[in-house]
Amino acid sequence: MSESVGISENKGAVISINSSLEDSVKDLLKKSMEKGIFDAVLIPMKVPAGDSFVYVLIKDKSLLNNAFPIPPIMSVQGAKAISSVTRLGKGNLKIAAVMRPCEIRATVELTKLNQTNLENITLISMDCPGVMPISDFISEPDKAMKLFDNAIKTWDDKIMRPVCQMCDKSSMVASDLHIGTLGSKKDTFFVISNSQNGKDMLDNLGIKLKEDIDTWRAKVKDNNEEKMKKRKKTHMDLKTQIGSLDNLIDMFSQCINCHNCMRVCPICYCRLCYFDSDKVKQKSEDYLQMAKSKGSIRFLPDTTLFQIGRMMHMSLSCVSCGSCEDACPMSIPVAQIFSMIADETQEIFDYVAGRSQEEPLPLKTYNEDELHEVEDAHD
Amino acid sequence: MTKALKLSIKPEQGILEFLRFLLENGKVKGVFTLNKINKNGAVAYSLISNSDELNNAVPFFPIMPANAGKLLSRFTLKGGATEPVAAVVKPCELRAFIELVKREQGKLENILFISLTCGGVYPLSKAVYENVEKYLSEYWDVVKKGEISVDLRSACKGCTEFSPYNADITFDLLGNNDLDKNCIVFLNTKKGEEFAKGMNAKFLEKELDNKKLDKILDKRKIEKKKIFDELETKMNGMDGLIEIFGKCIGCHGCSKVCPICYCKLCGFDSSDFEYRSSNYEAEFRKRGGIRVPPRTLFYHLGRLDHISISCIGCGSCEDICPVDIPISVIFKKIGESVQKMFDYIPGKNIEEDIPLITFKEEEFAEVEQ
Repeated sequence: MSESVGISENKGAVISINSSLEDSVKDLLKKSMEKGIFDAVLIPMKVPAGDSFVYVLIKDKSLLNNAFPIPPIMSVQGAKAISSVTRLGKGNLKIAAVMRPCEIRATVELTKLNQTNLENITLISMDCPGVMPISDFISEPDKAMKLFDNAIKTWDDKIMRPVCQMCDKSSMVASDLHIGTLGSKKDTFFVISNSQNGKDMLDNLGIKLKEDIDTWRAKVKDNNEEKMKKRKKTHMDLKTQIGSLDNLIDMFSQCINCHNCMRVCPICYCRLCYFDSDKVKQKSEDYLQMAKSKGSIRFLPDTTLFQIGRMMHMSLSCVSCGSCEDACPMSIPVAQIFSMIADETQEIFDYVAGRSQEEPLPLKTYNEDELHEVEDAHD
Repeated sequence: MTKALKLSIKPEQGILEFLRFLLENGKVKGVFTLNKINKNGAVAYSLISNSDELNNAVPFFPIMPANAGKLLSRFTLKGGATEPVAAVVKPCELRAFIELVKREQGKLENILFISLTCGGVYPLSKAVYENVEKYLSEYWDVVKKGEISVDLRSACKGCTEFSPYNADITFDLLGNNDLDKNCIVFLNTKKGEEFAKGMNAKFLEKELDNKKLDKILDKRKIEKKKIFDELETKMNGMDGLIEIFGKCIGCHGCSKVCPICYCKLCGFDSSDFEYRSSNYEAEFRKRGGIRVPPRTLFYHLGRLDHISISCIGCGSCEDICPVDIPISVIFKKIGESVQKMFDYIPGKNIEEDIPLITFKEEEFAEVEQ
């Protein structure tokens, strides 16, 4: 899955940075609103207490002054934010959504799952350095902010979520427009379009796509390859840790079934999860019978079953964002495990979650001639 | 005078011997208690049928991986226990189960409730980042003295309901200075006496030492006031609430682990509460921006509205919060104020209806127009 995805244009634009990268990006957004290209912008802002960043749908462009295009944390997965705006249908407002690449990929998956409508939405991504685990930020916000600012300068990912540290899709994948900071000359950044929608936005802003973006392309390729090496190694280590059923059960033994992972996951959109439904609720005599046959049962049982079940349901659309691991109160490396399984399940179908809106979900696609290797032998 | 047992061993052993006695003599078909589940000292509630499995049981372990009241509700939701089961639960967990029974979310029959005078639990993070085993001797030392461990859940530090209501059997642990050698077990009900008959222990008649418990109560009251006063400084109207709950990520974990929140589909997760584009467009007539997903604070206020009358202050909500919002202190503080208005202690009296379903024509004249 390390092939470059989604890069269709050969040329881009080079924008000069006046005060800061964030300010320059916000200027572009402000201009777009002034010209009526967008009516609203979905972008993170700092909360009043200063200890978190959350998505805000901004109509009054002066609020953009306080926006943070690249915050140090991911409090709510952006795909969930955008789904809450358009799940019940597109609105009349033209919206620009500035999100992390994995949030955009999750948005693409949710669109295919009919949980988001992208008709009046322009997706804007940027080269992503990763996000910090939310608990690292919450405890000392000011200190964490400084660490993050330094990390962006050097592209040093040690302070980021474990899955961010091995993310080979941290650049442009499925957005309409992309802010490219990798490989750009000092005090400049690239603006790259990835769709007609993106191109139209730049046309309306009077930004011409005539600059070479090879240095960006090369730096992104290097970065992805380095991350891919780390990804393969981490996944291999994990595989030996959870290779057998006993080991898998042991890994999840600390799980307290709070289901936080499921609820923060952008792909888990079911209003009532199967594992919360009546189907899993049994009579006392059934539980007692289970206890008798095994000597004892954990109560409530089926901890590992929940994890495997969730994997089965969402693995083909997992974008390895890591929100699940941030939310786990027992520090189980659930994102690392799920991302490893997701890579393998998606590979079976030659599918990359969020790569393309046109690519149908493997679960909904029937091919008569496939996966013969898992069929039963007839003789 | 109440019938009681004196076991001449420390309580962690005493409870195991008692549970073994109940199982091996067929008095119960199952034991519901905390069990060690991996080599890292993690614990989980288990339903034990074979007494050999009691070797890993740690009934009084100071960690609450889930509120046992909620688990007992699940155990008896589809019909009461068909065979006798002994359940070892903390006082707040038992109160939670009583509140759930009042809401028809559980049944009491066939369950032998064993509880303790409670020294509190550590936050789950202690089990994640440290080894709780290392703290056990310190923990029991503090329980012996009837003092308050520094690292407990804030809900436990200020807990004034540490003596269980409705338990058939109570292990009286708090404030007993010979706790490493003896434990006194009160048989509060006829049922408790019946189940204990034949146990290899000294049977006696004893009175609960109220003076000792009152001293402990005073300490807990002081701690509770400290914790509530600290919160009060942040509760500064709407602005204060936005500051406290601003970092909430809407995971609803607090609701999911709360024993009183039993709704299969929370209103806030239902389609009733979903915004559509037209809602956002309408909001934009009033303000320049709106947080999405919306209703972060509203969710907490709604939950307070629904459950504060029955909040038993276990603190599970605070343990689960990924962003360290002091939810249990807020809910406990407001819960107690609401409960005081109705002179109601949740989980104390099974016969007492939940105030929400009781109508009195003559009350709260002061809030009428």
